[in-house]
Amino acid sequence: MSGLPDGSVHIGPLQLKNPVMPASGTFGYAEEYASFMNLNLLGAIVVKTITLKPRVGSYPHRSAEVASGLLASIGLQNVGIERFIEDKLPFFEELKTPLIVNIGGESIEDYVSLANSLDQQATVRGIELNVSCPNVRKGGMHFGVDPEVLRELVSRVRQVTGKALMVKLTPAVTDIRLFAEICQRQGADAVSLINAPVGMAVDIKTRRSRLGKNLTGGLTGPAIKPLALYCVWRVCRAVDLPVIGIGGISSLEDALEFFIAGACAVQVGTWNFINPRITLDIIEGLEKYMVEHHLKSLPEIQVPKIGEAVTSNK
Amino acid sequence: MVTKNEPVGENCCRLTLDFPKDSLLPIPGQFYNIRCSDRTDPLLRRPFSMHRLRKESGILCLQILYRVIGKGTEWLSARKKGETLDLIGPLGNGFVLNARTDVVLAARGIGIAPLCAVAEAVRSMAPDSRLHILMGARFKDRVFYQKELERLGNLHLYTDDGSLGFRGRAPELLLHLLETGKVPGTCSLYTCGPAPMLMELSALSQRFGFEGQVALETHMGCGFGACLSCAIPLQPDSIKKTPLWKKPALQWSEDGRTCYSLICKDGPVYDIREVDWNEWLA
Repeated sequence: MSGLPDGSVHIGPLQLKNPVMPASGTFGYAEEYASFMNLNLLGAIVVKTITLKPRVGSYPHRSAEVASGLLASIGLQNVGIERFIEDKLPFFEELKTPLIVNIGGESIEDYVSLANSLDQQATVRGIELNVSCPNVRKGGMHFGVDPEVLRELVSRVRQVTGKALMVKLTPAVTDIRLFAEICQRQGADAVSLINAPVGMAVDIKTRRSRLGKNLTGGLTGPAIKPLALYCVWRVCRAVDLPVIGIGGISSLEDALEFFIAGACAVQVGTWNFINPRITLDIIEGLEKYMVEHHLKSLPEIQVPKIGEAVTSNK
Repeated sequence: MVTKNEPVGENCCRLTLDFPKDSLLPIPGQFYNIRCSDRTDPLLRRPFSMHRLRKESGILCLQILYRVIGKGTEWLSARKKGETLDLIGPLGNGFVLNARTDVVLAARGIGIAPLCAVAEAVRSMAPDSRLHILMGARFKDRVFYQKELERLGNLHLYTDDGSLGFRGRAPELLLHLLETGKVPGTCSLYTCGPAPMLMELSALSQRFGFEGQVALETHMGCGFGACLSCAIPLQPDSIKKTPLWKKPALQWSEDGRTCYSLICKDGPVYDIREVDWNEWLA
């Protein structure tokens, strides 16, 4: 219908009907949410990081709540690529919502091999590279903080897949723009940011980490929103790639902040645990907002750009 | 909707709610994940086991028994009659009830919450069975719910300092009851409380050969199997996987030596011998 605002987004070869999706690691393999919502209403679904081999994940006592945030060390627990394709993919064949699979590895070869396998699956519409997992000993963060390694990783994965390719960046670098530029030059279709920065919490009674033997965890939830927004705003002004904003989104208002800062889409993370229907609430709210504010398409929200008044200082 | 929210002991309260319409009936041991906040701190929902289902003036009510221990439960304790709560449930797998002649319910403090529902279910399932309820705390003032429990079965009280009832903790009391023949070794045990107590009860169950089930308490992220926060190590050789003991969330290590289960999805009730207590408490 011509009267309705257009919230659709292009990410490389992929067109999303709306710009809202759950963030990897907070939505399981989507089936966990099927009883709460119609999954077909989502812009896309990003599933939990898949690795080549199954992973049992971090030691127990994996999470601790902190002020407006969640510290968690899950350690990429997942069923591995084989079982994912066999057991989990069929569920998505029935869905209209595009599936984006987040992948993680211990070596560049792992990522290439994973991307290769997923490229052959028609149900998989996009791949998100987890180059910034805060909670694994090997790989993980390493790929996202070394420009040379990231350059080779993105370039090699790009060679084996024509599917939409997104790279999920960490804020734990001196200048995140540099890493986004590398992704752009190596042919990524989008960058998504931010992954969880590392944090810690101590139990003063036991004098131990509240994450037990894991010691540290990724910080997520509303506590990281200002950091995420800053990173998104910076990257949006540095690259000509779609930027997907992630970090502490818990409401339509939070999502709007990311769109105004330049994001073309958003991923909702930790708030899915609190309100499993939050993504749909944001999608509905966004449509209403666009109608009320006479926005025909989403990029219009960025005008006038909030960046311009303050960019000169940076 | 809240119909009552009353103190029942030191820092312990009982919340009564109109049973949510169109919801599945919970079984003992299942839990509800309740939003205990209207802001971002406290952030996550808090899990509470179903304490009791009861009819009050013809209306089905859900009761939650909880201890005020932090920001979330403080918020909950301030809720008044007529307010509505945001809850998800019933979640998880409940107790698998067996009709035994002797049933032991062992709790410490707020651990009694899910066991009252067990007592009522056993009463209606097997009216002739003998119910032995072990309830206690560190000292006398912390023990609560005596009158309610006396109505449900043979109540054995204990305190660590001996200020009320048996001097010692629940495993010591149960050992005493077993050794003096007051509880036969053919009993079945249902228990909820701190992990060290459950571990000791597990050792007793091995020694005397009785069956037992535990309801575990833990911090949870989502409560429905998405966040993978509430992993617990199981003993790979003792895992129960039957139609009654479903475990959709098991994750094995590559070498098959470690197996994690999600308390929210596979639990919170486990066979007492399934849990790798040493690893869980490490």
